[in-house]
Amino acid sequence: MLRLSDIRKRFGATVALDGLSLDVRPGEILGLLGPNGAGKTTAVHVAVGLVAPDSGEVIVGGAGSPRTPEVRRRIGVAPQALSLYETLSSEENLRFFGRVYGLSGRTLASRVDWALELAALTDRRREPAARLSGGMKRRLNLAAALVHDPELVLLDEPTVGVDPQSRNAILERIQELRNVGRTVVYTTHYMEEAARLCDRVAIVDRGRLLALGSVDELVAAHGGEPALVARLDGAEIRIATRDPASELSGLLARGRVDDVRIERASLEQVFLHLTGRSLRDA
Amino acid sequence: MRRALSPVVAIARKDLRLLARNRGALFFAAGWPILMAIFFGLVFGGRGERGRIPVVAVDEDGTPESRSLVARLGTSTALELTGGSREEAEGLVRRGKKAAAVVVPAGYGAAAAGLFRGEARRIEILEDPSREPEAAMLAGIATGAAMEELATLFSDPARATEAVDRARADLAARPPSERRRLTERYLGELRTYLDDLRPLAGGTGGAAGGFHPVSVERRTLRVGRERPRSAFDFTFPQGILWGVIGSALGFALSLVTERTRGTLTRLEMSPLSRAHVLAGKALACAVTILAVEAGLLCVGALFFGVRPTSWALTLAAALSVAACFVGVMMLVAVLGRSEQSAGGLAWSIMMPLAMVGGAMVPLFAMPSWMQILGNLSPVKWGILALEGATWRGFSPSEMALPCAVLVAVGLAGFALGVGLFRDGARA
Repeated sequence: MLRLSDIRKRFGATVALDGLSLDVRPGEILGLLGPNGAGKTTAVHVAVGLVAPDSGEVIVGGAGSPRTPEVRRRIGVAPQALSLYETLSSEENLRFFGRVYGLSGRTLASRVDWALELAALTDRRREPAARLSGGMKRRLNLAAALVHDPELVLLDEPTVGVDPQSRNAILERIQELRNVGRTVVYTTHYMEEAARLCDRVAIVDRGRLLALGSVDELVAAHGGEPALVARLDGAEIRIATRDPASELSGLLARGRVDDVRIERASLEQVFLHLTGRSLRDA
Repeated sequence: MRRALSPVVAIARKDLRLLARNRGALFFAAGWPILMAIFFGLVFGGRGERGRIPVVAVDEDGTPESRSLVARLGTSTALELTGGSREEAEGLVRRGKKAAAVVVPAGYGAAAAGLFRGEARRIEILEDPSREPEAAMLAGIATGAAMEELATLFSDPARATEAVDRARADLAARPPSERRRLTERYLGELRTYLDDLRPLAGGTGGAAGGFHPVSVERRTLRVGRERPRSAFDFTFPQGILWGVIGSALGFALSLVTERTRGTLTRLEMSPLSRAHVLAGKALACAVTILAVEAGLLCVGALFFGVRPTSWALTLAAALSVAACFVGVMMLVAVLGRSEQSAGGLAWSIMMPLAMVGGAMVPLFAMPSWMQILGNLSPVKWGILALEGATWRGFSPSEMALPCAVLVAVGLAGFALGVGLFRDGARA
């Protein structure tokens, strides 16, 4: 659905993308996971044709460059910054962005209704965007990217600065998009979101793709062995092992085990393993 | 074509809606200019009474000639004449209640006898030194009235014969001299001429037999009026230009706001080209400017006597002004990186242009050097075009220059703005 091939982009002395290659499959949610400044937003801007790469190629849906209007009509983008007209109502914002993508008449009206429902803003459709809460604005920002029913949706940190309730609502809506066959590229620096939502995760740092795969694949490949954590006679011991059952049998044979649990590696360990830094600290 | 225009119209509608929601911008685009036009129109004298000089007329002679002179002064549209004694007149002028006094001294009528000896009839002007221009104008009007009054003497052969006879008698009482001899000879010839003229004039005088030293013919020209009918004639074009400037800068700032708020980025990621975005903004700006022009002209026409001399030329002027300031808007929009910098930059450019362009002081009242400097300002050409379509009564060929300048400035601003916008986007 979207192919980025060896994309390089510099802004002055700063290397934003350093040979990034990605192949996004139709109908999947691909997470771009990385710390701030990793190049995720630049990758989105290149993917949608807003920024021209210094080298490399972008192809959308086999149709060609995203710089052409026909291709752009198939893409929906929710920018990281809330990009709404504050004095226009929710409905007026959606109507305007629908028109920008060529919708009109009944199609526009029904898509606006759908988008308002998706954002759970139907009852506040006439409210100016300025009067909505942060979470509502985020949902409206997402709805504006979807109002024209795009095949490929690029969501750049869509849950930044929202409350847990709104975050859940947004994540549920994105899962619904996958259910109706839309392809989603989801940039985030929240591991939990990537783990919960994405079919595959691309870990990027300093403009480079470090790893790509499902969460299980990434953990298996880069997270290290699971750990068996047990409490024996009041003392906690931690044993890294690929066979925790055997290790637990051995411990039980040696004496009384008060407590036991198995710790699997997370994306945090994957990132730490790949970069030598913690994702939260990066 | 419709598909290409549809997003442009969508952007224009959105921008007009945003403007309608912004009460502050709306007030400065339409309300403030109307208030300014009315306020300064009233300050500059409003309608009707503008330019009339308050003058006291003092008739110390009391002859038919002096009364005729005062009556003539009273018919002048430039003077607001009241009567009084010399003392009263001096007091009124000293207290600043009147600009000047015109005094017809005793002997004015009798001085006709000395007319042929080179002795002039005397009129006094009592003036306030701080109002010298008005006194000078009064002196001119009084001289003209006296000349007209003198001309009536010679337009009536009977009165002229009487004056000649009085002059000959007066001359006979003077000592003999070469000058007296020549004057007697001249008056004798004149008397003979008047005797011969009387039968032709039917014995009662009149135009057929009259002698007119000066004939002033007045014609009202349809075009090329040099003065406005009222102060509102020039304050409304000024107000319109302030409204136009406010609208253009408002839209320029709205483009900067779109950039800083991220909505421009969103539009740039849509199927729209940059040309669509700019065309939509330009369309909304042009519609607003035309609405401001139409609104102020309507208020001026309905309530303040501002009358377009030609609707076609008024439309041409309005469209040219809109084209010019849409271009200016485009240029200003790309110069600023933030609302603050764009706003500061815009007003620091537009304020001097407005000042030398006649948006504060009327063009015709400016010193000549400033009028020349004003040629560099699109504001001057905008005001000139609007004045040309209203009180200046320009012909189409006279209107061509300001309109051409305005359109040229607009095109240059648009081209420069679009070029810089593209460069900025690439960067």
